[in-house]
Amino acid sequence: MTAAMVRVEGLCKRFSVPRREAGLRAALRALVRREYRVVEAVRDLEFSLAPGERVGFLGPNGAGKTTTLKMLAGLIVPSAGQVEVAGFTPSERRPEFLRRVSLVMGQKRQLSWDLPAIDNFEFNRVVYEIDPAHYKRRLEELTALLDVGEVMRRPVRQLSLGERMKCELVAALLHGPQVLFLDEPTIGLDVSMQLGIREFIRRYNAEHGATVILTSHYMEDVAALCPRILVIDGGRLRFDGSIEALRRQIRPLRRVSVRAAALPDDPTAMGRVVLREGGRLVLDVAPERVPEVVGALVALPEAQDLAVQDAPLEEVMRALFGREEAAEIG
Amino acid sequence: MSERAGQLGRVIAAVWRISLAEAIAYRVSMLMWVLTTTFPLVSLALWSGLAAGGPIGDYARPDFVAYFVAAFLLRQFTASWVVWELSGQIRDGGLNTLLMRPMSPMLYHAIQNLAALPIRCALALPIGVVVLVLAGGLVWPSPGSLALLGLSLALAWLLNLAVHVAIGCLAFWVTESTALFEVWLGLYLVLSGASVPTSLYPAGLAEVVRALPFHASLGFPVELAIGRATGAAATHGLLLQALWVAAFGSLAAVLWRRGVRAYEGVGT
Repeated sequence: MTAAMVRVEGLCKRFSVPRREAGLRAALRALVRREYRVVEAVRDLEFSLAPGERVGFLGPNGAGKTTTLKMLAGLIVPSAGQVEVAGFTPSERRPEFLRRVSLVMGQKRQLSWDLPAIDNFEFNRVVYEIDPAHYKRRLEELTALLDVGEVMRRPVRQLSLGERMKCELVAALLHGPQVLFLDEPTIGLDVSMQLGIREFIRRYNAEHGATVILTSHYMEDVAALCPRILVIDGGRLRFDGSIEALRRQIRPLRRVSVRAAALPDDPTAMGRVVLREGGRLVLDVAPERVPEVVGALVALPEAQDLAVQDAPLEEVMRALFGREEAAEIG
Repeated sequence: MSERAGQLGRVIAAVWRISLAEAIAYRVSMLMWVLTTTFPLVSLALWSGLAAGGPIGDYARPDFVAYFVAAFLLRQFTASWVVWELSGQIRDGGLNTLLMRPMSPMLYHAIQNLAALPIRCALALPIGVVVLVLAGGLVWPSPGSLALLGLSLALAWLLNLAVHVAIGCLAFWVTESTALFEVWLGLYLVLSGASVPTSLYPAGLAEVVRALPFHASLGFPVELAIGRATGAAATHGLLLQALWVAAFGSLAAVLWRRGVRAYEGVGT
């Protein structure tokens, strides 16, 4: 294996936030003496990513995933620990580092509002010192892939959210970053646009070998895009592995469903009954018992629609971030 | 070395182009801005009315016209609005974009500011000319003082920029940085010479006022433009300007460096 593209050791970030009770009296008191509360946004993170990996940060709001992403991108300075990206310390923000990375934020526009995107691209060409021939080739490639040939000539403020996002991606990729940070890149987009952006990112990663690090609230984004997932919750790393491994760990049981003319008298012997209604039976079954249970269900009179599935992803996430169950992993 | 300089030149040109295009897109609000800075012209009406009965101090009526028209125009040349942009960007996370680029955010702000100046001046110049024609009092700076005026304007612009950056950077720690700037602006209106030539302040007070950064950022270049600061006075004023630029420039640099380390990269 080649050297790590991203290496994080003992990474911590503490914010001190002014603390104040509600009400006028507290507001006046805060004028005289401000009280601070220390929030540990990220605690003792440790991981490393190989070049070309696609990794998703998953976690509830305020879990610390965006803070972590911003420390990797060099926007905020860690309180403790080491970060190394492409061989640089991000918070030093050296030009050589900044030319090797790119950050796209779904909720923040980075393109100048009143100018056509193409003017923004041209600006990036100069600032990132992109060779003109190289620039032309890349621009053609990216605009063809994202289908923004016409769109990029209109002022950015006239674009739809999806069109603008595509232009943001072009602007972010013109200089050929080795590491691409994506913070909620598909937020607010319709389903087909989400799919398009997702497909583009996958393709870009495959063709250019860039390391992609993504945060998203959309489970589907992360599941579809990232072979590797880091679950961050309460500022800590709670899981590091594939989505399948995560699913098996949180919800090891398989969901087996069937429709039949008559159902067995005591299905609880096969597994946990999720649903038993009319001719339909849904069971959660331990993986090692699946063949046996499937055999029994197929043998039922007029058995049809037999299916074996993993637990739905949303259920996995609910279980994962439900506080009482969060202790199960890690 | 010359390779780096060439790249710097290209970056400056690129920021200039994009900023100019933006400034043109915002030309109407720019005109509004220029109109809000017509304060010296209000003072002009007031003082030239008062001077109708005879000179005040060493200012006769035409002197007031020349002074305040120059004050109005030179303020356009030295204007800055970085404090609004910077504190806004710090509060809403817009600074992230600038921080991710391989160029200094401060250089970006400075060039963006500079690129909008020609348009401001183009908008302001007709107003100044109309006032001069109506009121009389045109004074042409002598060619020799023109070079000094250029230098003085550059220093005044840098001083304004440094003050804006320094106060804007306070937004890294407090939310009320623009309120503090309003205080500065209030003092500026009174002490810079925008509402009254600082030489007309009572003796004793005048010396103090004329040593402050407010006078260095407007009053002095105006006096230079209308030929009231010559010889030793001109040299003294330029030195004072340079001193204030150095002081506020260092303050701005320190606050910026520490601020970026305290920055919390607002926004999810």
